[in-house]
Amino acid sequence: MASLDTTMAQGPAPDRRWRLVRLLFLAFLGLWLLFTLFPFYFMAITAFKSAAETNLTVPTFWPQAWFPSNFAGVFAEPTNFDALVDSFVIATGNTLLALFLGTLAGYAFARFPRQAGGENLAFWILSNRMFPPVAVLVPMFFLFDNTPWGTDSALSLIILYLVFNLPLATWLMMVFFRDAPRELEEAAYLDGWTPFQAFVRVTLPLVLPGMISVAMLCWIFAWNEYLFANLFVGTEVRTYTIVIPTFTHGSQTLWNLQMAFSLIAMIPPVTLFILLRRYMVRGLSLGVVKG
Amino acid sequence: MSPPSETAAIVRGDPATYPEWFDARRRARPLIVSRWVPLILVGIPVLTLFAIVVYPTVWMFYHSLRDTNISSLFSGNHAYIGMENYATVLSSERFQDSLVHLVQYLGFGACLQVLLGVVLALTLYECVKSNLWRTVILILVILPMMLPPSIVGVLWRFLLTPSNGAVNQALLNLGLISEHIEWFNAGISLWSIILADIWNWTALPLLIVYSGRVSLPPAVYEAARVDGAGQWKVLRHITLPMLKEVIAIAFILRFTDAFKFVDLVYVMTSGGPAQSSELPTYIAFQRGIREFAIGEAAAYAIIIFAISAVLIILFLKYMKRVMKAQGIA
Repeated sequence: MASLDTTMAQGPAPDRRWRLVRLLFLAFLGLWLLFTLFPFYFMAITAFKSAAETNLTVPTFWPQAWFPSNFAGVFAEPTNFDALVDSFVIATGNTLLALFLGTLAGYAFARFPRQAGGENLAFWILSNRMFPPVAVLVPMFFLFDNTPWGTDSALSLIILYLVFNLPLATWLMMVFFRDAPRELEEAAYLDGWTPFQAFVRVTLPLVLPGMISVAMLCWIFAWNEYLFANLFVGTEVRTYTIVIPTFTHGSQTLWNLQMAFSLIAMIPPVTLFILLRRYMVRGLSLGVVKG
Repeated sequence: MSPPSETAAIVRGDPATYPEWFDARRRARPLIVSRWVPLILVGIPVLTLFAIVVYPTVWMFYHSLRDTNISSLFSGNHAYIGMENYATVLSSERFQDSLVHLVQYLGFGACLQVLLGVVLALTLYECVKSNLWRTVILILVILPMMLPPSIVGVLWRFLLTPSNGAVNQALLNLGLISEHIEWFNAGISLWSIILADIWNWTALPLLIVYSGRVSLPPAVYEAARVDGAGQWKVLRHITLPMLKEVIAIAFILRFTDAFKFVDLVYVMTSGGPAQSSELPTYIAFQRGIREFAIGEAAAYAIIIFAISAVLIILFLKYMKRVMKAQGIA
């Protein structure tokens, strides 16, 4: 299986011209890394600048003075902390729901493919993840308006995020259940366990690592979601993704606080990604890991 | 022999009372749980998706054929008007302009991302031999994908600020430009969005192609080396042909994403200035949720939906092929 840390056999023997080309390509890769990392660098140093320094006519590439107090300044506004809490509640609620439904369906697809509707149904579930949400969001906006909880609530987003997380969870859990050997389950039947007992006590522990990674993936996508939240919530409930573009004081954008808040909000997904990179790549090689 | 009566005892081996297919059918049903258990396990998610994806899509299709606006939506006084909404959309200048923008985005955003992704992935695989370095570089390159669109949007708005942004200053310092570039003027703002999107998503095709390259069988390369084939020949005649389907998947994935791509437009330019950076999806949202022209928004949505459907069917075709080849399904 594809993974980040895979060793491979050597390629063909290098010739002289190849060596030059190789250097050129490596230089290009280096430039690309520079292009990728520069925005992160500038974000990080801006988070430590004073508000005055971010508005200089000639921007500085190293802070004149360091203001770690910006990070505390972000939370001087209690609504910013509330936004992180709202995002956390929505992401966690949605992840639990998607994981529960996805595990059951994934199990059925892996163990009883014919009875569960077969490969085509599984592919149909996956395809839901790829359709543009435009055909979904406009109607749901008016449909949720008629429900008791309305559009501007955590529940509406917890349900809506299933549009992309439920297909992901179902599909990946199906792959993990396929890898879990069926023989152990059958041995449990022979010992007189019911199918439910065998599922809970034999198969589920086998796929637990996979389940955890699916949960974290779903959580990252829900945590980072912007479009749905931008259109649906904003007054009662505010996710951090829709709060970030609103960091202004009068007509001035508070770039330093905005960048500090962005850095804080980035910590969970980046940490999870570094822990989970193998699974991320595996999910990607199935073409489904994309928000 | 007379036909078996209903009360005849079933005798194993007697073809009259014990048909041959009986054993075969019994063996063909390995289900240990009853038939409806898998149906329920799959049925709940399928019904959920019907409620939140299929039903809204049908709703949209219905209203794309009617003259619905916000008041008639709630009073129910909308009438069937045939294809009029589609005619309005297709003939409107706003939609035609947005199609031009979409083509620019596909050509210079999506295609460039896949090309860059292929070059970078193969460079990383062929030219970097240490596993540690490969892992570190991959993590760094993928980092932008872990950011929500709103952070990407405000970050690039900040970097590209015309008067005192970091990018203009860096280009000035390097002597590449002599005066500030107005990144958010009409005609340029779309390119700013495309630039931010390249930064954000090039890692996706990179990662797809990289994992595709990792799973190619090493034996083929051994054989090529024994035959004395040079690096270029190996690349042109072995690696690229074998990665054909994976690269196709990367293309299709980025193309379907182009029809979902709307969040950076919201954060960076709101489609402006003067609608010069609008994409069809953005207009669909604006018409539907901000301007309440529901019939028209529905027509937009159905057009986008139809194009996506073709792309997704293509995608699934290639997916099945790759998965069969890699033994996943």
